[in-house]
Amino acid sequence: MNNGIRIAAPRRTRAGKLRIDCLEKNRAVPAFLGVVAGLTVLSLFFLQIDWLRLASRIPDIGSIFWKLLHFDLSRLDLIGEALLETLSITVLSTLYSLVLGLLFGMLAADNIFRVRWFSRLLKSFFTFLRAVPTPVWVLLMMVCLGMGASAGIAGLCVHTTAFFTKSFAESFESIPDETLEALEATGVGRLGIFLNAVLPSTLAQIIAWTGMRLEVNFSECAILGMVGAGGIGFVISSCIQGYEYGTAGVAIFLVFLIAYGIERVFVQIKKRIR
Amino acid sequence: MKKRIPQISPSERRMYGAFFCVIVVLFALCTAYTRFSPLELVQNSDNFWAFLREDFLPPAIPGAAKVENIINSIFVTVAMALAATTTAAILAFFVSLFGSESVSPFPKMAKVVRGFAAFLRNIPALVWAFILFSSLGIGTGVGVVALCITSFAFMVRAFAETMEDISQDCIESLQAVGASFPQRVAHGVLPSCLSGFLSWYLYCIEVNIRASTIVGMVGGGGVGLVLFSYIKSFRYNVACSIILLIAAMVIAVDLVTGRLRGELAK
Repeated sequence: MNNGIRIAAPRRTRAGKLRIDCLEKNRAVPAFLGVVAGLTVLSLFFLQIDWLRLASRIPDIGSIFWKLLHFDLSRLDLIGEALLETLSITVLSTLYSLVLGLLFGMLAADNIFRVRWFSRLLKSFFTFLRAVPTPVWVLLMMVCLGMGASAGIAGLCVHTTAFFTKSFAESFESIPDETLEALEATGVGRLGIFLNAVLPSTLAQIIAWTGMRLEVNFSECAILGMVGAGGIGFVISSCIQGYEYGTAGVAIFLVFLIAYGIERVFVQIKKRIR
Repeated sequence: MKKRIPQISPSERRMYGAFFCVIVVLFALCTAYTRFSPLELVQNSDNFWAFLREDFLPPAIPGAAKVENIINSIFVTVAMALAATTTAAILAFFVSLFGSESVSPFPKMAKVVRGFAAFLRNIPALVWAFILFSSLGIGTGVGVVALCITSFAFMVRAFAETMEDISQDCIESLQAVGASFPQRVAHGVLPSCLSGFLSWYLYCIEVNIRASTIVGMVGGGGVGLVLFSYIKSFRYNVACSIILLIAAMVIAVDLVTGRLRGELAK
């Protein structure tokens, strides 16, 4: 009977029922939830939004959608051209940033070249680039390249390169040191290690990040349109502002279809790779 | 002749080859269409640096009243992001319960819920902002709603996937012993998925801090609107200090969420 194992008495509530909650709880979670709820209520008061007035206008949303759904196909050539431009901007900005991101990611990961101060410096520089909103970069590039698709590509590239550098460097750093040491012991150079060990083993992650960024870059087309760098976003914003809801509806619908298509394709590719 | 042992299987090699060809063709087509060349960037870089040196730098500080205005607008932007994300998260939690086939009491409805979320998600936040501004008018409230829509749709998908990943067996055994739907959620889903939900929530906060600046620029208020008005009136050196302030805000929020993510995952 007495073999040294002591079973703790079952925990009971005051009413005598068995307690079924978990013993090892993370105490930070309820505190976090409380703080977030408090801050949200505070910020809702701070914003002083007139909810009643907003709610009274909700029927207007329905009428706008009704107008948007009356597709006006007469300007399909303009929409098609803008859509092709947006797609080109998306593809080119992603590809250029992919190359730059691989290069800078290699330099910024601190397990490949092992120059700690340099990778620190590079990482903080790209953190800054990422923190500045994209429209600012597009506007800056427009000063340099003039209105048009080129400014859009270059502006998107800044943000995308910074994003890729950070996420690729993280993927590279997650590789176990043993792999790198084994190659080092056989006398492979730094670049050889990167090309033969680091790159192949992070390929799946790189493809996943690229797919995600392709989606994001496509949806940034609206931002490009806002500042005048061309593409479908410009058609949408100018048509809505000019009350041509039929044309805007077609453009928005096509944007939705393409974004959905990109998402589906990458879900399939990710499944295939796993 | 030296014969090498191939390092990857031929079928894989063929796949990568095809993939590479597709990328090269796409690259060529897009370059031909947009006539973009990186060389142009290098050629015009004098222009760029001159603009940066003369108009942007040094960052200037406007009068005291305007500084107060700018600081206030930063708080408005943060409050917009926070309010939108939290509202979206609460709504998304309840909706995603019905969007996950293993948890939902009506599994057949799950596809419909997910389809609806996919519709909301794949229209960019700024396009939602344009649509809403033209129907509800301009203002912070409308900006919050626009941010809310996309992050709601994103979180429905993320939450539903988290539930599918984690709590399959747990839900089934609870169902077998006769737990009702609210009990299944409270004792099965929540304990195992909460940390996953919170990390998606923090990710959405990061995204929305950036997005609320951008939505602000087209009329949502906050620091984006202030920045855009300075840029439009060509007062670039004040704009420069606002940009630095925005960058500081974004970095600060990223640091806080990074810390919290580590703390909550324990």
